[in-house]
Amino acid sequence: MQMKKRAVAVALLTAASVALTGCATTTSTGGSAAAGDCKPSTGKVNLDFTTWIPGIEDVVAVWNKENPDIQVKVQTGPNGNGGTYQNFFNQLKAGNAPDLGQIEYDALPNFRVQDGLTNLAACDGVLDAKKDFVDWTWGQVNFGEEDAVYAIPQDAGPMAMFYRSDLFKANNIEVPTTWAEFATAAVEVRKTGAYITNFSQSDINQFAGFVWQAGGSWFQNDGTDWTVDLAGDTSVKVADYWQDLIDRDLVSTNPPWTDEWNNAYNTGAAWTWNSAAWGANSIASGAPTTAGKWSVALSPQWEEGDNAAGNWGGSSTAVFKGSKHPYEASKFALWLNTSDEALTMLNKAANLYPAAKSGLELPALKEGVPFYGDQAIYDVFAEASAQVSPDFVWGPTMTQVYNDASDGFKAAVSGNGTLTEALNATQKSTIAALTAQAIPVKK
Amino acid sequence: MSAPAILTPDAPIRPASRAPRPRATVQHRGAILAFVLPFGLLFALFYLVPIGYAIYQSLLVIEREGTFGQAREVFGGLTQYVLVFQNGPFWNSIARVLTFGAVQVPVMLGLALLFALLLDSPLLRGKRFFRLAFFVPYAVPGVIAAIMWGFLYSPKLSPFSNITENINFLSADLVLWAIANVVTWVYVGYNMLIIYSSLLAIPTELYEAATLDGAGQWRIAWSIKIPLIMPAIVLTAIFSIIGTLQLLAEPQVFRSFSSAVTSTFTPNLTVYSTSSIPNFNLAAAFSVVLALATFILSFAFLKFTQRKEAK
Repeated sequence: MQMKKRAVAVALLTAASVALTGCATTTSTGGSAAAGDCKPSTGKVNLDFTTWIPGIEDVVAVWNKENPDIQVKVQTGPNGNGGTYQNFFNQLKAGNAPDLGQIEYDALPNFRVQDGLTNLAACDGVLDAKKDFVDWTWGQVNFGEEDAVYAIPQDAGPMAMFYRSDLFKANNIEVPTTWAEFATAAVEVRKTGAYITNFSQSDINQFAGFVWQAGGSWFQNDGTDWTVDLAGDTSVKVADYWQDLIDRDLVSTNPPWTDEWNNAYNTGAAWTWNSAAWGANSIASGAPTTAGKWSVALSPQWEEGDNAAGNWGGSSTAVFKGSKHPYEASKFALWLNTSDEALTMLNKAANLYPAAKSGLELPALKEGVPFYGDQAIYDVFAEASAQVSPDFVWGPTMTQVYNDASDGFKAAVSGNGTLTEALNATQKSTIAALTAQAIPVKK
Repeated sequence: MSAPAILTPDAPIRPASRAPRPRATVQHRGAILAFVLPFGLLFALFYLVPIGYAIYQSLLVIEREGTFGQAREVFGGLTQYVLVFQNGPFWNSIARVLTFGAVQVPVMLGLALLFALLLDSPLLRGKRFFRLAFFVPYAVPGVIAAIMWGFLYSPKLSPFSNITENINFLSADLVLWAIANVVTWVYVGYNMLIIYSSLLAIPTELYEAATLDGAGQWRIAWSIKIPLIMPAIVLTAIFSIIGTLQLLAEPQVFRSFSSAVTSTFTPNLTVYSTSSIPNFNLAAAFSVVLALATFILSFAFLKFTQRKEAK
């Protein structure tokens, strides 16, 4: 008996230490490539590239065939906030990050604050590429600094409204062009038993897109201090609008990106989705039985006659600190995001809407898309893209902002608190998170 | 629940024996060292060093100048621990898993004990089948089990949607117990097997004697089997307490399809979310506090049951 007790005690010790090891991170800090140093490597170079773009392997295969001396190995994972960013941060801490990684614009400040990005300004052709990209996307990767380029823009996520044109027509409901009309139409749609849309409790970047369209901005950086403004007047206006629709049961609140959510779109239980260009791919893969029944229109406006669009997502290709081959990596990143063949393939495979100006003239972007009743949907996104304000600034801890706001939004759709309360709480927790990282912030 | 640790009764972490016993095996020192070395090395490398590193990380704070200034890690004493104790969501999550454990662990172990006793009783037929059937869920990885149950709970897509449309198992009121059900489903068989193997170790003469004295199966189970397998039950209880405090996989999966599971639902999810900010130092402090809490709770339980036995 005594022996058994002792065995239990030992097992306990062992198990408790499992508790600790399970959570501990791995050793050593990241290596560093000296800034301003970007020379070609000698001999054959192998690059690792982590991304979550569907179908990227085929695009990289084209590069590998044309460039035997710069071979790129792709690894795909979940989308950024779904786990890939966490991996990146862990890898950076452990000093074994891949050479290249996909990072959305909203996460770039986060990676820069953690000293995870290589400044590519000294690399051949990178500074010159500025003219090749849509202005606001370049502003996202150089943080407004002249001699800095922290990533190569890949795609943009101008937002528009995907809607079931067949259902609107069959039920004699006008397709809304303002948010007021959207709310009115929501009542009509609800009478048929369906919902006009689903309010996403965890896509805080979509909500940010709504605020962006309404003219708000969540962060400012004056060079010495950050300003956090998550619960400003514009954000509250947008939050109150959606809160009202939730309270009146005019929008569904399924957790997004689940089978339940796909099913709602697939069965016509949700009629619209305000989403980005890349969302075209999400609907087509999530709701395959509705092929040909969707159309795309510009997002509803806050005031009649306004011309504003929000942006949701859009990625860049960054070279991580610690990569030994920034020269070759930047070559690949430029090819991936500016060459016609790569951009065409990315658009076909993943409906990416290029950040490169030349990409906007691609023949592939002028064609009708069968899933959308042969509508030339990219014409709409081109129009939206021109309406995206360049003034929206992302903060340095967006993963935390998204987590905290999502916790609050989840509570709000379950009837505990409101969206505005969630934003107020996130405002507080964000300032605390910045302070904890010694990032200067105005309180 | 996390994977249970392997029993290592003679692990080198055991303090030197308190009874002064003369040791006569000095000439085998080389052999002993050779046998202990592989374990000791791996133990140091994968347990002690990471624990030390986590403690070290938890004592650091970040300093930087300017909005994008380079971060420097400097010694900050117990700064992170002060933040841990001020963190409401973390302590809420501890309270949540304690509530969870107070209900789930007794239910699960009660079932495991019942199944083990049934398997051990001469009344049940088809023992091999039932032994396997109860154990099979444990072979399903926890994440897969959570996804599968997620489908079963899903309001519209569940095969039992006439139930799930009326009772939302993924709502704030029920989701904790929905997760408890998944955990129970996975681990009942595992705990049953530990208890069952301990039942097999009881000498059969005891049963013969009891039968001669006129004891029925109930009486034998209650007065002989259960007291004799108490150490096994205590062991499973401690594993379960540890597992409960460390709940991660199931709530992490449920988080994507339930509005009620937040990023700080369980202590380990809090650690995960904190490290994804990334704030490794605070996450390390959370981990250390969690490990200490786990240790204290398990040890208190052990002492409590031992004292009860001694009475």
